Amino acid sequence: MIWAIIIITGLFTFVMRFVMLSGIAPRKLPTIFEDARSFVPIAVLTAILVPAVLTGKENNIMLLDNAQLPAAFVAVVVALISRSIVITIIIGLGALWLLKFMGFP
Amino acid sequence: MTFGKHSPDSKSKIITGSPRSEFWTGVRDELPLQLGVVPFGLIFGMLGISSGLTPLQTILMSSILFGGASQIVFAQLWANGAPPFFVGASVSVINLRHVLYSASVAPYLRQLPLRWRIALAYLLTDEAYAVSIKHFLERPTNPFKHFYLLGAGMALWVFWQISTIIGVFASATIPEELSLGFAIPLTFIAIVTPTIRTRPDLLACVTSGGLALAGQSLPWNSGILIAAIGGVLAGWLLHHFKRL
Repeated sequence: MIWAIIIITGLFTFVMRFVMLSGIAPRKLPTIFEDARSFVPIAVLTAILVPAVLTGKENNIMLLDNAQLPAAFVAVVVALISRSIVITIIIGLGALWLLKFMGFP
Repeated sequence: MTFGKHSPDSKSKIITGSPRSEFWTGVRDELPLQLGVVPFGLIFGMLGISSGLTPLQTILMSSILFGGASQIVFAQLWANGAPPFFVGASVSVINLRHVLYSASVAPYLRQLPLRWRIALAYLLTDEAYAVSIKHFLERPTNPFKHFYLLGAGMALWVFWQISTIIGVFASATIPEELSLGFAIPLTFIAIVTPTIRTRPDLLACVTSGGLALAGQSLPWNSGILIAAIGGVLAGWLLHHFKRL
């Protein structure tokens, strides 16, 4: 059963990635969609990262007592200044470790 | 650097654009992101085993599904004994966003032979997409730019498989206190933050983040999808009304 779910969801994921390259979908998207395209990376990645920063182990939202939140703010500032993925990850993880070391939950 | 605008200091300008140089530029630009991908793969490998998946199931899921966030959710739901339909539906809803990526790169790849489009579609993950769309927007006329996505995608694939395998077999030895999973939101912060240049960009980001937070308790992680579409819509509306 689990193999079936893995393979079916894998196929589904591939179809999602392939559909607009397939030649079956319309060649030219409506102008509305062409304009919206530039916001896709921003909106999708933000939608994944915000819950990842703010939710705790029991899938509940944690605004206080969450060391990841101040560490994420540090990372945003570092990303704006450095524009480097590597530096942002290193300082962001470092900030999280420091906060936890100082007793942040 | 930003999606859609030229950046004069772009490193890729010095590459003249042969297939080989495009491929290796893709590999090179993808490498820094592995700082976020490798911990994520380790976490998934560990989580797969602790969720009751076999090593083979965990490892092959990384090449069959090849989507980090959806694999984590798969393992979590499986561990909680969720019904198979629920597991499949959740994973599918999370990966629906790849339609947006597919549409976004389609104008640059549409003319390629089928085997190329199949291979590149398979490799079209968050991280490979993030670097590739930036490259495509900067160099839309480069005839070999699909080699860039191939290089970025293959680099990510190799690191994802290796880190999953290490996670599976080293699961007992990686301390949870390191919070390595936090490297993934950090990667996305590093990708998104510098690309926010205009008010519509900012509105897309804030709307998406707000909706993702508000929709956290919705079933099947559907909050992610709603937030993504809402963010795109908000950005587009502001962009559209500024033009009028």
